[in-house]
Amino acid sequence: MAAVIEVNGLVKTWSGQPALRIPHLVLEAGASYVLSGDNGAGKSTLLRILAGLEPAHMERFAFEGESMQLDRLPALVRRQIGFVHQHPYMFRSSALTNVEYGLKVRGVKRNGRARLAHEALIWAGMEELANSPAQRLSGGEQQRVALARVKVLSPRVYLLDEPTANLDADGRRRVIELIAQLAAADKVVVIACHDLEMINLPGVVRLHLENGSLN
Amino acid sequence: MDLLDTTREAFRLLFSGDPALWGIVWVSLKVSVLALILAGPLAVVLGFLLAHIAFPGRRLLVILVQAFQSFPTVVVGLLLYLLLSRQGPLGALHLLFTQPAMILGQMVIAFPVLAAYTLTAVQGADPRAYETASSLGAGRVRAAMTTLWEVRFGVMAAVFVGFGRIVSEIGCSLMVGGNIAGLTRNIPTAIALETSKGEFAQGVALGIVLIVLALAVNVALAAVQGQGGMRRAWQP
Repeated sequence: MAAVIEVNGLVKTWSGQPALRIPHLVLEAGASYVLSGDNGAGKSTLLRILAGLEPAHMERFAFEGESMQLDRLPALVRRQIGFVHQHPYMFRSSALTNVEYGLKVRGVKRNGRARLAHEALIWAGMEELANSPAQRLSGGEQQRVALARVKVLSPRVYLLDEPTANLDADGRRRVIELIAQLAAADKVVVIACHDLEMINLPGVVRLHLENGSLN
Repeated sequence: MDLLDTTREAFRLLFSGDPALWGIVWVSLKVSVLALILAGPLAVVLGFLLAHIAFPGRRLLVILVQAFQSFPTVVVGLLLYLLLSRQGPLGALHLLFTQPAMILGQMVIAFPVLAAYTLTAVQGADPRAYETASSLGAGRVRAAMTTLWEVRFGVMAAVFVGFGRIVSEIGCSLMVGGNIAGLTRNIPTAIALETSKGEFAQGVALGIVLIVLALAVNVALAAVQGQGGMRRAWQP
């Protein structure tokens, strides 16, 4: 399988103390990875680094074989990496407008935007709440809107931070179903979580973070 | 003329559409609104940057912006007077005793108020707002605009407070405007100077307009802050 992201010599320090030290990491197309580890092991930090939201020292970062500076990722590459926060932030607008945001940024015209966003909300089972204020939705509903908001952009890489944390049983089941659908031949899905059901999904590669290092 | 007659005459002036009186109101509104429009964008950008970006001297700049909110308006007027007077470094522009000079003064007064309130609004924004915009593909400017839109009620509060401060200030307008009838006479200078010449009714009428304006601004501010919503318990 082709490597989509390849990282060499990643070091992240907090106040001079090394928090993450990853000599080599390859994320391949068509694979799903579950990143496990105790609280504070650095799961979220690693995802945030890969999403370009957190600076870190890296000897080499390559996207589809091309080396580049992670803190100066070209917009075209940055847009290939979708990140969903553990507690997704919902813009102060409707669920539909939230899903349209990334499309608007990419200059998609109003009609196309609305159609694509609607389709994504149908995929997430959220079409009935499309016009509801997103900030008033439940945690599970917000997580599904956040997944639709990223999926509508069709990124190559999905980075999902604890997507089932703090959800009730029904919310968890729905989110896991959606995540299972994200994995496709040309996509990479990386999920940071402790959720056993997620860890045991068929075909996932397990990455375990311990004391800032990957096993 | 007793108080009752004065008040009756004031209302007659107000409702008869007295051109001199409404001309003064127009100068006030025009100068203050233009000052807000001109100072607003830069002040909002500064407020955002101070809240969002760490750089050397940031703390000092925050203290200065906050301190300048209570800078005496008459001193702003004095400094501008010295700059704009014929012997001053900007004397060649012939701006003293003109509306642009008053606008400039009110911009200086409004700027720290707008910047400080924007700073507070952005500091209160959820840090995930900028990050989410950024992770969905927004560039820096777009993510900043999105964050400001998320705290739009706080930014609107900044505009209302700024307007409230400049529309009622007298020190600077008097120093650099000169209270010239039909040109630089605004509500506060007219009340202060014309009343002393016996124009009681006009003073009371303008006072009523100023009170209505101040109340309207405060009602709008309360409405906007109400729109921001009650602080809700955080839900995961």
